[in-house]
Amino acid sequence: MISGLSGILSQIFNGIQFGVLVALLATGLSLIFGMLGIINFAHGSLYMLGAYLLWSMIQLLPIPGKFWIGLALCFFLMGFVGLVIEKVLLRRMYGQPLVYMILITFGLLLVIQQGVGMIYGTNPLPLGIPPVLKGEVSLGLFKYPLYYLFTMILGLILIFAVWFFVERSSWGAVIRACAEDPETAGTLGIKTVNVYTLTFALGSALAGLGGSLHAPMIGGLQHTIGGSIILICFIVVVVGGMGSIRGALLAGIILGIIRGLAGMFWAPASEIVMFVVMGVILMFRPQGLLGKKLST
Amino acid sequence: MKSPLNSGRTEWVSMAGLAAVLVCLQPILPSKMMAAEILIMGLPTLAFILLLGYTGQLNFGTGSLFAVGAYTAGILLARYDVHVLLAIVAGVAMTCLISGIVGFFCIRQGGLIFALLTLAFNQIIWFIIFQWRSLTNGADGIWGIKRSVIHFGFFAVNIKPSFNFYLVVLFFFMLAFIFSKKLIESPFGKVLQGMRDSELRATAIGYNLVTYKWVAFVISGMICGLGGALFALHQEYVGEHLASWVTGGEIVIMALLGGTFVLYGALIGSGVFIFASDWLNKFKSLAMGGGWLLIMGAIFIIVVMFFKGGIYGGAEAVYERLRDRFAPGPRQSP
Repeated sequence: MISGLSGILSQIFNGIQFGVLVALLATGLSLIFGMLGIINFAHGSLYMLGAYLLWSMIQLLPIPGKFWIGLALCFFLMGFVGLVIEKVLLRRMYGQPLVYMILITFGLLLVIQQGVGMIYGTNPLPLGIPPVLKGEVSLGLFKYPLYYLFTMILGLILIFAVWFFVERSSWGAVIRACAEDPETAGTLGIKTVNVYTLTFALGSALAGLGGSLHAPMIGGLQHTIGGSIILICFIVVVVGGMGSIRGALLAGIILGIIRGLAGMFWAPASEIVMFVVMGVILMFRPQGLLGKKLST
Repeated sequence: MKSPLNSGRTEWVSMAGLAAVLVCLQPILPSKMMAAEILIMGLPTLAFILLLGYTGQLNFGTGSLFAVGAYTAGILLARYDVHVLLAIVAGVAMTCLISGIVGFFCIRQGGLIFALLTLAFNQIIWFIIFQWRSLTNGADGIWGIKRSVIHFGFFAVNIKPSFNFYLVVLFFFMLAFIFSKKLIESPFGKVLQGMRDSELRATAIGYNLVTYKWVAFVISGMICGLGGALFALHQEYVGEHLASWVTGGEIVIMALLGGTFVLYGALIGSGVFIFASDWLNKFKSLAMGGGWLLIMGAIFIIVVMFFKGGIYGGAEAVYERLRDRFAPGPRQSP
């Protein structure tokens, strides 16, 4: 009885952990959606690129604490990548039908994914859990891997920080103003284009950080890892409500738990059950759990 | 697009001309099977263009519908040895059913969610195909499809030789192409285009958008299914990779490459894509790491950014410029 209960509990924890991680990615996706009105198909590739960057840093940096430095560097490097993508590609597409911007991000997905495949090769690259975070902690009924707990807590902190930044800080007010009404924001002296750039960079940085946090948990890195996670992310964004950070977190955790529990009974069910949840949500609440009503 | 002078007869002549050109062009390609593949992949691309160009919907799920057609025809041919025509019709019918279900869920949502939903359904269908081993053989795929003689009672066609197969594929391609052309010129097609330009206006006039979008989605799905069924015959094998989002993505690239504002874009796009990927794959360094897809992706981005009309649109622009330059009489200002 106890063992069954602790099994379910640890599955729930796994679900929350996975959900938080996906929510972190979905937060980035949501930010970009709120600002540019597009779904960034390249988000999964940025996630994958973040994971590979961490792998490279751990190989290259000779100093202790390279995991932490790598994590921080990943965040800023991926932010820079996002900056370049926005400045070079997306900026030219403003004012044109959104379909084309979405298609550009799809092209980017191919370029980044295949580029990494060519540079790093297609064989899985092993990346273990950093020694500091190895081991397990006892959580009353069951033991839980320390690294999983760490990513869960860090993820929650980051999501909260982004939410606070966007919804409560004065910088966030600028971002929201540009998302809501770029013309008026422009007349008030805000350089909207720069705000777009920064938002896209922040979203990319979150994707990269999510990737590098997740990387040690994946057995071996492959250039295709972005594909499956981004799909779950899309589901989370749709279920949570487009453009809502709190919705993304809520949907991420709910879906993560459902996924974990479904997987206990029949492993393949863990993937399909999320689609079922999405279908049900869309039938009864098309704007998602916490989303605003979509105009289009 | 259509001038009133363009009578029905000249249209049939131009379609016959297109078929004749396709027969004549085929020897310049490296192989007849590649020519057939271009026409086959032209079908889902046509379906994609019908949706994007004429209803404004971005469908990332063409790959799975293509696979549904391929699996239906493949299983019927390999296991039950049914008549080839019947297998193709069954493939189209099955895709009609599946795209009816998928469309029912997808079309209710706006443009962006529509794209996401088609992608999600694509994954569901892939998942079902991958898991339902007793029906689809899972990762092994369907083997044992044979192209052989098709009997029609009083005559028979052997589709084993690649040229005969090409002609059969051409027949089906022209069928779908003419059907699509008629469709977009019909009142039904006009409503779709009106909807694409302004949903509000179309609703205000009194059209039921949901039904129109649904029918358009199902028709597009059936064309995908036809392509899939022919592809099963072409490869004599069906694998689960067909249903993955990568196939759908390739179709997106083909369509944008060719041009999404005209149906001819499907043919041009699939032709250029298949020819170019075959050529790029000849370089070992590119074939190994999937580098050809990297180049395709880069070209795709450039096309989307600077040549929204694709190759067709670009050629048209060049033609118009040349015509203006050499046209007799005073130059017209644009």
